[in-house]
Amino acid sequence: MKTIIEPFRIKSVEPIFFTTKEERKKILATADYNSFRIRANDILIDLLTDSGTSAMSSNQWAGIMQGDESYAGSNSFFKFEDSVRSITNMPYIIPTHQGRAAEKIIFTILGGKGKYFISNTLFDTTRANIEFSGAEGIDCLCEEGKYPTVPAPFKGNMDIEALRKVIKEKGTSNIPMIIITVTNNSGGGQPVSMQNIKDVRKICDEYNIPLFIDACRFAENSYFIKLREQDYAQKSVPEIARELFSYADGCTMSAKKDAFANIGGFLAMKDLDLAIRCRNLLIITEGFTTYGGLAGRDLEAVAIGLQEIMDENYLQYRIRSIEYLTNKLIEAGVPVMQPAGGHAVYLDAKAFLPAIPVEQYPGQSLVCALYEEGGIRAVEIGSLMFGKYDENGKLIPAQMELVRLAIPRRVYTQSHIDYVAEVIIEVFKKRKELKGLTITEETPLLRHFTAKLKPFN
Amino acid sequence: MTTAAHRRKAMQEAGFNTFLLKSEDVYIDLLTDSGTSAMSDQQWAGMMMGDEAYAGSRNFYHLEEVVKDTYGYKYLVPTHQGRGAENIISKILIKKGDIIPGNMYFTTTRLHQELAGGKFEDIIIDEAHDSENEYPFKGNVDLDKLERLINKYGAKRIPYVSIATSVNMAGGQPISIKNLKEIRALTKKHGIRIIHDMTRVAENAHFIQRRERGYEKKSIKQIVKEICSYTDGATMSAKKDALVNIGGFLAINDWDVFEEARNMVVVYEGLHTYGGLAGRDMEAMAIGIKESVSDDHIHARVGQVIYLGEKMIEYGIPIVRPIGGHGIFADAKKFLPHIPQVEYPAQTLAAEVFLDSGVRTMERGVVSAGRKANGKNYFPKLELVRFTIPRRVYTQAHMDVIAESTARVYDRRNKIKGLKMVYEPKYLRFFQARFEQLQ
Repeated sequence: MKTIIEPFRIKSVEPIFFTTKEERKKILATADYNSFRIRANDILIDLLTDSGTSAMSSNQWAGIMQGDESYAGSNSFFKFEDSVRSITNMPYIIPTHQGRAAEKIIFTILGGKGKYFISNTLFDTTRANIEFSGAEGIDCLCEEGKYPTVPAPFKGNMDIEALRKVIKEKGTSNIPMIIITVTNNSGGGQPVSMQNIKDVRKICDEYNIPLFIDACRFAENSYFIKLREQDYAQKSVPEIARELFSYADGCTMSAKKDAFANIGGFLAMKDLDLAIRCRNLLIITEGFTTYGGLAGRDLEAVAIGLQEIMDENYLQYRIRSIEYLTNKLIEAGVPVMQPAGGHAVYLDAKAFLPAIPVEQYPGQSLVCALYEEGGIRAVEIGSLMFGKYDENGKLIPAQMELVRLAIPRRVYTQSHIDYVAEVIIEVFKKRKELKGLTITEETPLLRHFTAKLKPFN
Repeated sequence: MTTAAHRRKAMQEAGFNTFLLKSEDVYIDLLTDSGTSAMSDQQWAGMMMGDEAYAGSRNFYHLEEVVKDTYGYKYLVPTHQGRGAENIISKILIKKGDIIPGNMYFTTTRLHQELAGGKFEDIIIDEAHDSENEYPFKGNVDLDKLERLINKYGAKRIPYVSIATSVNMAGGQPISIKNLKEIRALTKKHGIRIIHDMTRVAENAHFIQRRERGYEKKSIKQIVKEICSYTDGATMSAKKDALVNIGGFLAINDWDVFEEARNMVVVYEGLHTYGGLAGRDMEAMAIGIKESVSDDHIHARVGQVIYLGEKMIEYGIPIVRPIGGHGIFADAKKFLPHIPQVEYPAQTLAAEVFLDSGVRTMERGVVSAGRKANGKNYFPKLELVRFTIPRRVYTQAHMDVIAESTARVYDRRNKIKGLKMVYEPKYLRFFQARFEQLQ
């Protein structure tokens, strides 16, 4: 069959609410032109994030009913531990309420002033956690990853030469770890090849630096390896995932992505000493070591979701639906990141809105237009999210101005996706009418979550 | 059910620390009332109504409305649990060298204050440290102690007074409205905030209704709201009163503090409209808060605790009096007078109760108290074992089994030997410490 269908049917539905364009104009103004500030009830199709927004399976809901809510030694924890271990093969598994809490713990221990964390690309909360500790984050993304519309199979790869250079420049002792983000979220959900992971491992061995995986989307990355990398076509996704983790000394995970959970995360590692230090901090900010700030039922849901996500029928449908939307947009001439990534479609806002300068946040302008036109909520991944100011208060823009349309897992059907494509194409036709924005209020860290903006005059 | 041999093996593997037992080896779990409640059919229905949107979930707005209506605080920041809120408020309000007076310490609360650079000072009335004193409001603040601190350090070095309702470490003892009003008047005079540790505010309200003149006819809901009205903000672990398995919040009346908290919550917890919680958990919390202030619920809840306490008293077991709201606190110093505090009598007693019947309790004595900044042990006056009753989980028959088992341990108390600590973690040692039995 040519058509790839959703490998599930729908048991329980949740209504969505319709608004008129006039209503949406008002809502946008009330939300200060920041999509994070819009009430969910006022959204028609919510593509703000794929984090925590998945539909759980009937099996996961059954797990929810079986949660053991004991404060210590919960049976659900042991199921969770087994499930994580079966994939990562790491001895020490530490649950956290979500991914950023895992990051917070590890960077509090290993970070601090004068330290550098090197990555293919650090995500916003990861970078914020690193900077909060006083350390700095450095991205060493491969060259082809920097050009959104040029296709290449593994645009999430680390630039090995750049990595070596940075290590030499900063000194081994100032680099507590190297982090590979799979897939590379900020860089367009692009995968990292197994070969690249092996090469980074070699460098880590050479300089004796630990390698951690930011594993949020490990299954999507593993599936891309199966599709695109030589010698992996015959391997199963669980085998590929296990190999991927075998090169790492530890990982952080937001289970809100590739574990189909609405809440949850974990840290896993091989080093007992580090695990003990992590657990000591965990208890202060998260919770006891066998629940880490999660209800027992959520540990169950993560344990089940982690196994479900590696189903190849699911992954085929997942990757195909992103590709489907990407192709529709390419046909209409809309500038999108190519090839399609694993969890989202990324519009290239610089190419989409060449008349709006980066200081006026073209990405955010596009986000607002998509909402106004069709009630779609997207997110800017550009200078609003990553921009900084130099000492004269001038904006240091991000490398790319992207708009991410993240597709929640198992939530929307093909007709929702068709509608999204129509809205984007409609906005593309009217692109010359779009105006820039200016910030009226912002915070020093993670400003994009709460910043207020207004149309530029 | 497990055999005595099985329990002995499990206890040894757990290093004589009940926290390290597996729940499947536990027969009746009284380790904590935190997160262990049974949710209602309404709450489970709410779980199905979760709006898992990352930003602006309708469950958040529902929760916000319920918090405002029930507690009266103006602004809400959800957190994944109570210690998330403690972490944030401590970091915002406390500067290095600050003093935080409070009505008895609580483990995580004091630690967050210390990590933020502050120092906790106990201002609870002396009666609270005497397990036999029948004073009806042993959670009250000694106003002279508070005033002396203000005079000594100056109001500028006291960012807030930390007031717990139903003081946990004193045995779930309530604070009176009269006392709250007096603290409010004194702090107002000096421009000092009151931050309310409100995790068991409804249980405290029950005791006010029963014991304080003028409150006999008022509903729990009215009393709860009045309690909150004397404070400026609160940290809440919704895992207690509010009948949920996960969740908490920071509530505050001051816009500036709220703004700072909203920015900080993103770093530690999650965006301010979910705070590290699934949408469904905020919904369950909103419904649980409404249920928690129902008179029928709270009377049944505290009634069950009192039933167990009275049974223990009948058996002659030394417990903290009057009986508190969320559990029975056995006085280990009196239960095991031959074991000195350095040999951890409460830790020992908790292990012995488990060995007898598989009932899991928690130490609240010298192990929980931990060490001072100078490395010396705190030696608290109260050396207790807490039999915490989860809400709506166990029946009267379970209570009978618990009392009978404790009585059996009491009968053979003279043969019981103390413990020595063989592993001690840096923070909150009671969670992970390991022990061996002394010969």
